[in-house]
Amino acid sequence: MTFTRRFAGIALASAAALALAVPASAQSTQQSLSSGSVIESIKQEGVIKIGLSIFRPWSMRDLNGELVGFELDVGRELAKDMGVEVEFVPTSWDGIIPALVSGKFDVIISGMSITPQRNLTVNFSDPYAYSGMTILANKAMTEGFSLEDYNSADVTFAARRGATPAAVIADMFPEAELLLFDEDGASTQEVLNGNAHATMSSEPTPSEAARRYPDTLYVPFNEAFQAGGEAFALRKGDPDAENFFNNWIGTKTRTGWLKERHDYWFRGEDWKDKVAE
Amino acid sequence: MQKFLKRLHWLDYVIVALVLVAVVFVIQRVGGTLNYNWRWEKIPNYIFRYREDQERWVANLLIQGLVATIRISIYASILALVLGVILGVARCSANLAVRMLARTYLEFLRNVPPVVVIFIFFFFLSEQIIAALNMERWARGIARSDDNQIWTFFFGDMRRFPALISGVIVLGLFQSAFVGEIVRAGIQSIDKGQREAARSIGMSRFQELRYIVLPQALRKVLPPMANQFISLVKDSSLVSLISVPDLTFKTVELVASTRMIFEAWLVAAAFYFVICFSLSMLFRRLEQP
Amino acid sequence: MSTRAKPLTLKKVLNSVPVSFAIYAFVMWLIIYGAYAGAQAMGYNWQWYRMPQYFYTLTDDGFQLGEIMIGLGKTIQLSLTAFALATIFGLFIALLRLSDLVIGRGLSIALLEFLRNMPLLVLLYLFYYVLGPVFSLDRYTASVLCLAVFHAALISEIFRAGINAIPKGQWEGATSIGMSKGQAYRYIILPQSIRFMLPPMTGEVVHLIKSSAIVSVIAVAELTTIGRNLISDTYMSFEIWFTIAAVYMVVTLLLSIGVSQVEKRYAVQT
Repeated sequence: MTFTRRFAGIALASAAALALAVPASAQSTQQSLSSGSVIESIKQEGVIKIGLSIFRPWSMRDLNGELVGFELDVGRELAKDMGVEVEFVPTSWDGIIPALVSGKFDVIISGMSITPQRNLTVNFSDPYAYSGMTILANKAMTEGFSLEDYNSADVTFAARRGATPAAVIADMFPEAELLLFDEDGASTQEVLNGNAHATMSSEPTPSEAARRYPDTLYVPFNEAFQAGGEAFALRKGDPDAENFFNNWIGTKTRTGWLKERHDYWFRGEDWKDKVAE
Repeated sequence: MQKFLKRLHWLDYVIVALVLVAVVFVIQRVGGTLNYNWRWEKIPNYIFRYREDQERWVANLLIQGLVATIRISIYASILALVLGVILGVARCSANLAVRMLARTYLEFLRNVPPVVVIFIFFFFLSEQIIAALNMERWARGIARSDDNQIWTFFFGDMRRFPALISGVIVLGLFQSAFVGEIVRAGIQSIDKGQREAARSIGMSRFQELRYIVLPQALRKVLPPMANQFISLVKDSSLVSLISVPDLTFKTVELVASTRMIFEAWLVAAAFYFVICFSLSMLFRRLEQP
Repeated sequence: MSTRAKPLTLKKVLNSVPVSFAIYAFVMWLIIYGAYAGAQAMGYNWQWYRMPQYFYTLTDDGFQLGEIMIGLGKTIQLSLTAFALATIFGLFIALLRLSDLVIGRGLSIALLEFLRNMPLLVLLYLFYYVLGPVFSLDRYTASVLCLAVFHAALISEIFRAGINAIPKGQWEGATSIGMSKGQAYRYIILPQSIRFMLPPMTGEVVHLIKSSAIVSVIAVAELTTIGRNLISDTYMSFEIWFTIAAVYMVVTLLLSIGVSQVEKRYAVQT
């Protein structure tokens, strides 16, 4: 597959008329699937290229300018288990799936939630993290509220337009009023100002906001809502890779390694002094 | 000082007052309503950092981005110059087909927004070129070897070499149109008599170009070329949109990692300003005879 | 004078008009076909049949404009608003620059130098991420202001050149009949300078429409943003990018024709 693609690349670059078709060698389907798998190319190159996008605390730059974070730990552990080097390719989020599809890296490990829409273009592994959403509320305005109390016409929620929390709020609290903003920061600001009772977003944002403004904000409920899954994204048509990543994730989940790392980055604060807070 | 104050008109005082009001407003908003913690003391760390483990000063994110921007600008300028000269000559060609093709290329690049051009060139050209030349494996080979100081000096971390080259190709192609126009204007400003004289002593078209027309034309258009170079440095910020690790991209990473929004963007803007302003001062100085 | 017909050389054939057109068409066809076939060989699935719906749809409610046309409308609206603001700012900056006010002149020169040495993308980030929270600007307002301020620098230069092009005699005539500086500007200088300024000003409109594409990085609704959203929804990168580029080309070429008409009408005989 890679061979034909390179030939076609030369044709395109020199504006030649027809791409030279490489005659398909007589391989069995099983052989060609295995040899075309990204696992094979990773083994051959001796390096796994992982695409990611900077997003606290999944992946960030520390004080040395090096990449650190949950994804980095996962990626390095994966590479270690595969016996290859690891290369991280920081990419802007809205170009990350096209970059994967066009082969700039082998897999996306970047806190990408599994959605059906994305699944049409890329395959997902099993989830390796579950970042649910929690409610961030204004202390004074929601004193003594139970979960049901939020679902009333007097309550105002703020949320980011088009993001998952907006849909979840509309779903869970249909009676409450919902204000939509362009930015997560704006919704948090509204709750801080007292213009809205509460907002919702993926952890660890609510907990961090509550820590920053302990007098005004708090996270009333410990449960995470709509805990979807985040998974590795890989190119379609690669059953070997999917099998490998799924089993790797399964093993790491069973040994508790993933949970320990996730808690370190998402619930702990020890790493904060290595990254400018 | 007295003389200065005497020259001030009452409107001047109004302007000063307005500026002060604006500054006070901004300070109040930032400190008060927005509750922003200024962390200026952290920024120098992201420029240069002292590594205890290596016991030396290393360049951090912002300088890495700045150096990448400088590299991309210089290499893209060279590419744009080469392509631009070819394009400019083509625009003056005797052959109508060649002129039309060059004109089409120029009109495409002049009428489509730079953002769109960058994306199109990226997806349709630089990707294919890099894949076709197998650049990634070659660059990784160099990155793995021990002996890569020269490469690293000129191109930075060799593992990110394909991204750098993408930026260079895309930016160089985009700017070649404007350089081409400048070259064309230069060529057309050469007195016809020169070309006739060249022909009459038996020079071929190519020799005429090489020895008579181009040297004079290029020398004539140095001022607009210099301006175009500064323009290229500014346009280099667009390659951050295709994930090339230039100064803008690194600043976005810095902001996402540390939330020091104000400090990071103000410093990045200052870097760009200092570079472009110094270049334009330099060119103004050189222009004076 | 020889009446012998000049020999028909190969060079002459190649340089003749019909052959040139044929060669041109052939090369363009090669490029387009090469791109098409090359992409297909790489496994890209061309879906041109899906494009028309983004221009218009005929539903039960009648004729509906598709996303691309809506995006184009938003781009034009954004550009015209920014242009109007840029003209006002630009005039103000130019007047300051030409004035005798020490601080006024210094301020306008500083502002012009700053804007001339700043990439538009970084300026946009400054407006949205830095000035935005301070002045509570939403993304649309931040974009319009950014474009307006950036182009105000360019427009102020047009104003300054136009005003400076008026012969000094006009100034002297105005003051000799007792007009103040302001009156001279208003009744004598500015009306005459308009004919110098109109052609480059219309060129600036075209320039601004092209600059407006940059606001897609902060997801303001306009043509390029719509294009990028469509690509992330449908993954038809080739078709959509080419279409978007074509729409911009058509708009700017049409406007450029308008510009050259204006230039012809207001051509200054020297």
